[in-house]
Amino acid sequence: MKFKLNLVTLALLANAGIASTAMAAGGYGLQNANTDKVKFDKWDCKRCVVETGVNGTVGVGVGYNDSDDIRSANAFAAENEFTGKVDADLTYVGKSGYRATVEADNLGMENGRLDINAGKVGQYNLNLNYRQIATYKTDSAMSPYLGIGGDDLTLPDNWQTAGSSQDMSELYNSLNPLELSLKRKHAGLGFAYQGEELWSTYVNYQREDKTGLKQASGSFFNQSMMLAEPVDYTTDTIEAGVKLKGDNWFTAINYNGSVFKNAYSQLGFDNAFNPTFGAATHGYMSLDPDNEAHTVSLMGQMNLSQTIMSARVHYGQMTQDQAFVTSGYGYQVPTESLDGKVDITGVNLKLVSRISRSVRVNASYDYSDRDNKTNIEEWTQISINDVNGQVAYNTPYDITTQRAKLGVDYRINRGMKLEAGYDYRTDERSYQDRETTDENTLWTKFRLSSFENWDMWVKGSYGQRDGSQYQASEWTSSESNDLLRKYNLADRKRTMIEARVTHNPTDSLTLDLGTRYAIDDYDETQIGLTESTDLSYDASVTYMLSDDMTLTAFYNRQNIESEQAGSSSFSAPTWTGVVEDQVDVIGAGWSYNNLMEKKLRLGVDYTYSNSDSNTQVTQGITGDYGDYYAKVHNVNIYGQYQATEKMALRVDYKMEKYEDNDAGNDIAPDGIWNVVGFGSNSHDYNAHLIMLSMSYRL
Amino acid sequence: MKIIKTMKKLSTGVLPALMVSAILSLGFATSATASKWDAKMTPDEVEATLDKKFAEGKYSPKGADSCLMCHRRSEKVMDIFKGVHGAIDSSKSPMAGLQCESCHGPQGKHNKGGNEPMIAFGPQSTLSAEKQNSVCMSCHQDDKRMAWNGGHHDNADVACASCHSVHTEKDPVLSKNTEMEVCTSCHTKQKADMNKRSSHPMKWNQMVCSDCHNPHGTMSDADLVKPSVNETCYSCHAEKRGPKLWEHAPVTEDCVTCHNPHGSVNDAMLKTRAPQLCQQCHASDGHASNAYLGNTSQGASVGGNAFTGGRSCLNCHNQIHGSNHPSGKLFQR
Repeated sequence: MKFKLNLVTLALLANAGIASTAMAAGGYGLQNANTDKVKFDKWDCKRCVVETGVNGTVGVGVGYNDSDDIRSANAFAAENEFTGKVDADLTYVGKSGYRATVEADNLGMENGRLDINAGKVGQYNLNLNYRQIATYKTDSAMSPYLGIGGDDLTLPDNWQTAGSSQDMSELYNSLNPLELSLKRKHAGLGFAYQGEELWSTYVNYQREDKTGLKQASGSFFNQSMMLAEPVDYTTDTIEAGVKLKGDNWFTAINYNGSVFKNAYSQLGFDNAFNPTFGAATHGYMSLDPDNEAHTVSLMGQMNLSQTIMSARVHYGQMTQDQAFVTSGYGYQVPTESLDGKVDITGVNLKLVSRISRSVRVNASYDYSDRDNKTNIEEWTQISINDVNGQVAYNTPYDITTQRAKLGVDYRINRGMKLEAGYDYRTDERSYQDRETTDENTLWTKFRLSSFENWDMWVKGSYGQRDGSQYQASEWTSSESNDLLRKYNLADRKRTMIEARVTHNPTDSLTLDLGTRYAIDDYDETQIGLTESTDLSYDASVTYMLSDDMTLTAFYNRQNIESEQAGSSSFSAPTWTGVVEDQVDVIGAGWSYNNLMEKKLRLGVDYTYSNSDSNTQVTQGITGDYGDYYAKVHNVNIYGQYQATEKMALRVDYKMEKYEDNDAGNDIAPDGIWNVVGFGSNSHDYNAHLIMLSMSYRL
Repeated sequence: MKIIKTMKKLSTGVLPALMVSAILSLGFATSATASKWDAKMTPDEVEATLDKKFAEGKYSPKGADSCLMCHRRSEKVMDIFKGVHGAIDSSKSPMAGLQCESCHGPQGKHNKGGNEPMIAFGPQSTLSAEKQNSVCMSCHQDDKRMAWNGGHHDNADVACASCHSVHTEKDPVLSKNTEMEVCTSCHTKQKADMNKRSSHPMKWNQMVCSDCHNPHGTMSDADLVKPSVNETCYSCHAEKRGPKLWEHAPVTEDCVTCHNPHGSVNDAMLKTRAPQLCQQCHASDGHASNAYLGNTSQGASVGGNAFTGGRSCLNCHNQIHGSNHPSGKLFQR
């Protein structure tokens, strides 16, 4: 039967005299259209009716938020008891191709978004956008420090230092809660212009402000205090480019510039403990310095009948020249500022060629180079232990990566496809334990969709990494165990297999099953990560019970296990560690449309996830790291009622039940003698949000 | 198919009312039927016929007006004029060129009863994704799509029309509120990842897949929007870019050495927690080499000492992403 079909195909092809030209281009691209016979003067498009005017919806909503833990704002985007929002989805279509859109989503809430476009189709577009992202960790981190939010943290005047946190008599009298959360406000302005023929250009400017507090630690010798680090960043980004294109080619040059500014260059903090080495009572840490990055890239593509060739070259420079923090340093610095400079160079070449109707080959070569051109100087290290005034030299890291890939895909027939490939990678590094690593990987994938209502594929890969001689202590300040192999440089055998089956027993039912297993075997490693495995499987069902009702369900289980070894005698391994992670995710959804004379829509979505991790370390006896889990239930119920032809009312109810713990942190601020901590940072809450909204269709 | 069902489900939940009507009118709601000719011809015959028709170039006598003689009664067909692909004032719109036949190919004898195949799009079309996509790609050839051919979705035979629709005022797949569900209908591992203890804020659509990946493929690894993993991370985490005086080698080399950006059972998207994570690479003589047992039968507890409790190694080595302090070699200040 198949053979017969092919004869039909061949006959048709042979008949079409110029078919080969069209085939050569591999499809029905407009530039290959045979328009010799078209009488365009008769093509009036009288029936083409473009209606002008504004349409779309605008909406407002108010919400009530019941939560006693700020962490729920990650899910609800609401910090306070009451919240409000504005939504809009408007399109204006004018005469002669003028067009504008306004999309506002949850504007007024912590995840608000706005996107405005105005212009003339195919000529120019002006874009204005705004976006906010907020993440919340806790609002009950406890700290005795004053001046939180600024760059100098001090202890109360009556603070009594001590050798141990348990002996700090004023600790509990001085504690105040603080909120660890970060908020990004991102605003952008863009303009794009398309010329009549060939070329187009664009420029986008964005500014992002990120503010809030994040967790940090300041230490003296072996004593440490948790600190609230102020975040007040501003990043300006400009992207601009010119593109040129013809029928079978395309080229573009792009510039990307990013300027980062941190309002704070240092964080000063009082020593809560009795002074030790260096008698320091106040310390300073350097905060992330202002920096800039500029990248220019040039790319192009040629479509040569059966072959597509693409190339990109880019060159970038990252610089940093912020004045060093010298408060409390007490030694000469070789320069006032680093004048750090890193050059980034990249070349990507790719070729895809259709050799026949069933065989396609692709090949690529990638080169990337990070060249840190920062000067090497001598830096005196202040007392971190009883040895004072050691000098150290900075080690500006370079890395060069080259990769080559060759792949073939073979369409055995319409429902069977075999792919295979070979990937090669080599990395060359400076100042690291191993100068070069080389990795060879073979992979293959087979997809079968020839059985009606079944689609399945299986994929496997095997890779081996080795490299030059490993010298564990070449660049470390204190001598390292010779048997150590850092996992990003170590010899590794990596195997992966993955399979997926999708079945549609009926038009309305889809079943999907997948599994994946991966193992990284660091077979030459005695100290360090020796093996890690990752097994996951998932299943999902989508059932359209009727045209109006859909049911979905999803389940995923993943187990990640890593094994490592260490030596407390600085020789052969004396201890082993095992970390076992298990994650379960369950989701279900139901939606019902067109109820009550097509006026009502209802739906429920539910997800549950349980992330669990278990660590065990054995050296003679076995110890464990206690419970470490996060369990979260989310429910979202909604109903939308079309009250009038134009107006719809909607109710959303959201619930989050969240519980996590971390045995290493479920301790009092003075739980560890040489740490002044933030106290327990676990969560256990049940939060609700009810949102009433109204939308109006213009 | 999975994507279509996802869109249909989303249409009732997340999307604004206007878009719902757009999706429903696209025929996603009803079990879409294949084209008329599919009953009589095999997919290979359809393809061969289309190849022949395309080469012959027998376009209709009056363009869209010829097509709309019959097809104007379909709301879905007429919706093309609501979107940019139906714009009649732009020289770059298909409506300004070969009109309907720009995309659907020359009419030929299709007007005689509709039995002769035309180029059809979407999951119900028997035409290969590659052939369907050749139509779209002939105009949409630019820096954002230059790596489509041979890329991830091309190899998986995803048709442009599996995700996108043009016979509509607004393409629903472009909504950020639906993006996560559309992508994760196939990328189930990532769906599980974003529900883990820590992840980028994707579960609530604050961030979306396309913030980091380009579904149309790029010249970079994993179709990242920037040339490398680190440069992609720096586009939001510019404070980690430096270069700083004291660099932590794996940090400057590849953020993914320690983090899984899709999500993790650990806080901060770390692959493993400290001290185990740190001890996988650090075994110098002294405290980095010791076994830290945590809770033992001999009375030790994981929260009882600074090597395992609090922030573990980071209690002192806070500046793990590098330090710019003259005395920051050990990332303490």
